[in-house]
Amino acid sequence: MKKAGATKSLIYVFLIVITLLNLVPVVVMIFTSLKSNDELVSGSFSLLPKHWMFDNYRQAMESGNWALYFKNSFVVTVVVTAGSLLFNTLAGYTFARIRFRGSTMIFVCLLAGMMVPAQSIVVPQFIIMKSIPLFGHNDIWGQGGTGWLNTYFALIIPALSGSIGIFMARQFYASFPKDLDEAGYMDGLGYLGTYLRIYLPLSGPLMATLGILKIVSVWNEFFQPLIFTNTESMRTIQLALSLFKGEFTIQYNLLMAATVLVSLPMLAAFLLFQKQFVGSVVSSGVKG
Amino acid sequence: MNAKWKRTLTPYLLILPNVLIYFIFIFVPLLCVVYLSFTNYSILSAGHWVGLSNYARLLEDKLFMGAVRNTIVFWIVSVLPQMAIGLVLAALLNSKIKGLPFFRAGLYLPSVISGVAVSMTWLYLYDYQSGPFNAALKALHLNPINWLGDSQYALMSISILGVWVGTGYALIVYLAGLQSISQELYEAASIDGATRLRSFIRITVPLLNPMTFFIFVTATIRSFQVFDYVYVMTKGGPLNSTNTIVNSIVDTSFAQYEMGYASALSIFLLAITLVITLINYRVGTKTLDS
Repeated sequence: MKKAGATKSLIYVFLIVITLLNLVPVVVMIFTSLKSNDELVSGSFSLLPKHWMFDNYRQAMESGNWALYFKNSFVVTVVVTAGSLLFNTLAGYTFARIRFRGSTMIFVCLLAGMMVPAQSIVVPQFIIMKSIPLFGHNDIWGQGGTGWLNTYFALIIPALSGSIGIFMARQFYASFPKDLDEAGYMDGLGYLGTYLRIYLPLSGPLMATLGILKIVSVWNEFFQPLIFTNTESMRTIQLALSLFKGEFTIQYNLLMAATVLVSLPMLAAFLLFQKQFVGSVVSSGVKG
Repeated sequence: MNAKWKRTLTPYLLILPNVLIYFIFIFVPLLCVVYLSFTNYSILSAGHWVGLSNYARLLEDKLFMGAVRNTIVFWIVSVLPQMAIGLVLAALLNSKIKGLPFFRAGLYLPSVISGVAVSMTWLYLYDYQSGPFNAALKALHLNPINWLGDSQYALMSISILGVWVGTGYALIVYLAGLQSISQELYEAASIDGATRLRSFIRITVPLLNPMTFFIFVTATIRSFQVFDYVYVMTKGGPLNSTNTIVNSIVDTSFAQYEMGYASALSIFLLAITLVITLINYRVGTKTLDS
């Protein structure tokens, strides 16, 4: 019994040490954002700032039009999350509850899209974006202008579809009893009505899971904005942060202040909804 | 008649948004990238058919083969530690300890930070002059290391960051797997006189096979797409020592405008991903059967 107690203490010590070590980069990021320039160039390192320079945050945000970058990221994240939740659950419901010709084949094709790395089709995607007719000064043949490049469309439309989302929604809706569809039919509801009136109100857990996955991935997305936009007016926060470095000889305190602000929304959401975050990661993996 | 038609058509309308977007932004690009890989298309000039010459060039391309080698090194050096550390930590967290939410939060936290933010943070940690890592080395009277500026260390440094980011994911999935294993198995084993280590190796690890497999495949596919860290921290340098496959694709298409050749490189990435996924599917169905 004594030995078991000692082992347990050892496990605690080990876990505490590893967890704290794991948090070192985040802690350094936060404290560095509050240090003065003099302290950073002095060469001696201490974890806590000698003077707490909260003004660094103001300076970092004045280095560019950060209000605009946050607005861009916010708009894209909200629209993509809302839109993809609607489209993906609607499709998942259709594949799970309605029998129609070709459904299996279409579903398998959509699922196969999961295997295609976004980076491997970025060249033709770029050309297609550039050639969307009648947008960005393009003519009806998609020539002459920039199409959807440097617009919200480029950042939003492709992200609205999602193989994983459709797959998880289908799994979710497949578990309901047949009575629900019959009840809808009896009430004179069509398929869309059955989804909206009966299934949607029961979709809370599914929406939470898909929503968390989508919000984190869109907020943190770097590749798409990098390729499909190059004007300041369309810049997202991740893109802005990646460009922060070049604007000065690196001033790490300001750079870390910007890094903290860019990371803060997801860190806060994670700490508040840890259980749901972990749950969505697990269900996207183990069940999917 | 009208109502019946409506009921036949509705399912197609309900999936239409997804199918349309999928068609325009995945299916068509997939066909295009295959076609483009046989041309010398550039955004600056219309291309023409060049047969297999892009692929011949790819095999001779030392820069790209270096990128493939770097990507493979990153894959091995980051994925295996992620899984090993994730498994050990998950097993410890599963041993009826208090404060699970605290440990889990602290260990999974890096996964919710964006690739760019992670890169910036580690750029400072690794900084040769003022970074904390070198400050620690100096305090121990060791020579500072040029973590990102020396081609000998740069790829290793980025791989360490990959472990830091990826371990939380392995941990979470393993923990879920462990929680689904019945305690009775262990009780039976301990009655038979098995030590904890022995029952971990004999009972736990085999039962976690599906998780191990799943984490391995997911982490592998992700690591073959590594880009953000490299782009932000080193731009593939020094001396191309951290150049990766995706970095090559982006550079070839959007800095040198050789989109035909970049398409051949993309096909290479696509092929690797497909092979991994197919092996996944084969072995995955086998482990589920047994």
